[in-house]
Amino acid sequence: MMERLARRLRPARPGAAALAVAGTPEDTLEAFDVTVHFEGLAAVDGVSISMRNGEVFGLIGPNGAGKTTLVNVLTGFQRPTRGRVVLGGEDVTGLSAHELGRRGLARTFQAVRLFRDMPVIENLEAAAVGTGLGRREAARRASRILAWMRFAHRADDWADTLPYGEERRVGIGRALAMAPRFVLLDEPAAGLSDAECDELMGLIAEIPHVFGCGVLLIEHNMRVIMGACHRIHVIESGRTVAEGSPEEIQVNPDVLRAYLGTRSGDARG
Amino acid sequence: MAGPDTEGGPAGLVWRLPVVGLRAFWTPIVLSLGVLVIVLAVWASGDTVLALAVTAALIRAVMVIGLYIFIGNSGVLAFGHATFMMVGAYGVAWLTLRPFNKSFALQLPEFLAAHQYPLLPSAIAAALLAAIVAFVVGIPIMRLSGIAAAIATLAVLGMFKTFYSNWSEWTLGAATMPGIPIYVDMWIALAWVVVALFVAYIYQRSKYGLALRASREDEFAARAAGINIPRQRLIAFVLSAFFMGIGGVLEAHYLGTIAVKNFWLTITFILLAMLIVGGQRSLSGAIVGVVVISTLIEILNSLEAGMNVGVAVLSVPIGAQELTIAGLMIIILVFRPDGIMGGREVPWPFGKAGRIVRDPGAVESEHDPLRRGLAQRDSAP
Amino acid sequence: MTGLVQNAIDALALGSLYALTALGIGLIFGVMRLINFAHGDLIMIGGYALIVPSSAAAAVAFIGAWPAPAMVAAIVFIVMLFALACERLAFRPLRRANPSVLLITSFALSFFLEHLVVMIYGGRVKAVSIWPELLEALPISGVRIPYLQIVTIGVTIGLLVLLVLFLKRTPMGIQMRAASEDFSTARLLGVRGNRVIAVAFAISGLLAAVVSLLYVSQVGALTYSMGIPLVLFAFVATVVGGMGSLTGAVLGGFVVGIASVTLQVALPVAMRPDRDVFVYGLILLILLMRPSGLVKVKSIEEKV
Repeated sequence: MMERLARRLRPARPGAAALAVAGTPEDTLEAFDVTVHFEGLAAVDGVSISMRNGEVFGLIGPNGAGKTTLVNVLTGFQRPTRGRVVLGGEDVTGLSAHELGRRGLARTFQAVRLFRDMPVIENLEAAAVGTGLGRREAARRASRILAWMRFAHRADDWADTLPYGEERRVGIGRALAMAPRFVLLDEPAAGLSDAECDELMGLIAEIPHVFGCGVLLIEHNMRVIMGACHRIHVIESGRTVAEGSPEEIQVNPDVLRAYLGTRSGDARG
Repeated sequence: MAGPDTEGGPAGLVWRLPVVGLRAFWTPIVLSLGVLVIVLAVWASGDTVLALAVTAALIRAVMVIGLYIFIGNSGVLAFGHATFMMVGAYGVAWLTLRPFNKSFALQLPEFLAAHQYPLLPSAIAAALLAAIVAFVVGIPIMRLSGIAAAIATLAVLGMFKTFYSNWSEWTLGAATMPGIPIYVDMWIALAWVVVALFVAYIYQRSKYGLALRASREDEFAARAAGINIPRQRLIAFVLSAFFMGIGGVLEAHYLGTIAVKNFWLTITFILLAMLIVGGQRSLSGAIVGVVVISTLIEILNSLEAGMNVGVAVLSVPIGAQELTIAGLMIIILVFRPDGIMGGREVPWPFGKAGRIVRDPGAVESEHDPLRRGLAQRDSAP
Repeated sequence: MTGLVQNAIDALALGSLYALTALGIGLIFGVMRLINFAHGDLIMIGGYALIVPSSAAAAVAFIGAWPAPAMVAAIVFIVMLFALACERLAFRPLRRANPSVLLITSFALSFFLEHLVVMIYGGRVKAVSIWPELLEALPISGVRIPYLQIVTIGVTIGLLVLLVLFLKRTPMGIQMRAASEDFSTARLLGVRGNRVIAVAFAISGLLAAVVSLLYVSQVGALTYSMGIPLVLFAFVATVVGGMGSLTGAVLGGFVVGIASVTLQVALPVAMRPDRDVFVYGLILLILLMRPSGLVKVKSIEEKV
């Protein structure tokens, strides 16, 4: 069933050339020694990550650790002070956000940032069109993704009428509508109920198979992180603390220390 | 084109039928019909003075649609669009003045001075000239942030206005240029309104329009989605300038004279007022705004001239017209910033045809209150 | 050499007027992200307040006939009052609107004020003369410098110094700077938004009144649209200087003034009427190279 769905969601025909950005199994997204200074302060300091197509890669750390800044660097919203971003072997450091979008990097935002005065379906279609698709293919892809997300009944609702949890779902759908090679989810579970989190976890776990891409997941909700990720990278104060499987991370003393130190201040933990 | 998605697919997915025919073009069709009804009524009444006023309003409708193509879809204000009207109006004057008239005061190159070109090709050529000007000045301006871009368009207007009012060999400088063939009547203006409506609508529904509207809603999210915002803005700017150029052309062939001073802030203000009052974010709003403000202008004009209301002659002082429009505009902005139409198009009145829903998720939860959402928002633009 | 000095002073005097106007616009932009089109009309109203309200062709001096200190005080008071009324009636209800809505509202307000003046005073040009003695020139070693230019430059420097002191030393000034940095945060921290904005409008009115007096003494005539050219160049100055930066606004004002005078001198006589074409063109060129202006401001850029 899943495979059939995957076939459906991937390029329908060879003719739909614009869909060809979807990743190959060897595809990688890497960051080498990325450093970002804001007025002398290092928000990210020498972080290197490497993720592959097909995996869910968790990025965790206390508030203010530099997770979003790193995602901003990866997606071209922030120029790194030092370091390189490499997508599928090609150095893409310093490319603008829309160029990286076209090359297959999709992201969501903590603040969601839906296209508010547009229907849900057009939110997805706009993202599909942004990666070079024609209007008709974009509509088709958007419908399929909404159906896959069990959200088709809301397709024609105005985005600014959605409740918070559903906004986040549309945000993810919009990123996926770009048929990305890698999708970077910035706290998708923030503010969701436990039931919604479980549903989201299932959705995220499916993404790599269904869309043939890699997923980078920033999240504070440990249930979602431990349930969905293959590998986890921990940063604190802009620096790498540890990287490993969920099991390794759970028992890593450095990680515990990093978290215990700030637990009281982290309401979402 | 028509027909259900032939690929089929796993039972349970929603297939949206491509919306075709009458429904797909409902907005421009209904707006065109609305304008046609007004024109027919005036034509039937035989009131030639009113017909002239309606023609002027229709020409402004072309301009407001032009303005809408850029402002409505991009969300970026532009104060410089009178530039493109001016370029179009003078361009068409160079092409369609009789060589005898040109030889009086203008020093045009041979291919312009010695010939008089046919009207329609000249109109299109002049509007294309406006579009080219927009393309050139748009390259730097479209890279600016919204407010800075709005102000930079003012700089463009200031630049071209100064240039044209000193370019005596081609424009007679600050003097009025007379003798332009007068041929624009209500029907010709109507035809251009219909063309502009359809082109604006097709653009708005195209992938370019969709990408630009997305950038209007959220620039960051649009960039993340791969949308090249300066480029999308430039496309709309050029298309918008083309119809502003057509507006200028029609004005020239309606009045028979043009003068640089008429392409300045007053016309900019009137056109913006029309767009804002109607609602800058929908094509329907643009048309409604033209109708409302034009009617208001007509009433105030007759009041300024002194209107006999039986027992007394009502009259208002000079300046009251702009004052009233400006006041109305401020009131609309304060109380209904999305204008009369609230950013929506005229809704499709015949229920939600053209779509098949087969979504087991939705079927399983028949009682789900979310499903009610299906009934709403069916008339998306 | 003497020509050069003369031109330099011309440039500084013109730049001063643009800088003061741009500053009035920049202050408001800082505290509420409003580009105030109607600022030029405040300048215009300051001029019309000098004469008796009437649509007769010949203007009769009213406040314009008062002794200088009383005249200055009255004009400043009237223009400030108008500035505050604009804020209260048109802009305060739109506090939460986006900058485009604010900009278009100020555009409408500008037309409203202009045609209010047309209704009261008529649309014709009116001659008015205040301080004619300022138009005489002071000869300094071969250079003849009109007193008015010296006064203009002096007043501008004085106002700039006062404004800097106000912004750096007084609690209200510090609040105003905080509000410019980040309006919503400033409000959370207890800065009272309404008062800060009202004070900013009052200062902007003061600056408009001063520009009004200086400008009217120079041109000696009133028209309802006289504020437009000033405000257009001042707008451009704020964009060139970097939106949201007061230093940028002043800098931009002088850049525009100096560019105008330099082109006036440098262009061949036949092209001089086209000077503004080159000024605007130059500005577009600057923006092409530096889209965020000469002084880049962080708080303008939204966070991702």
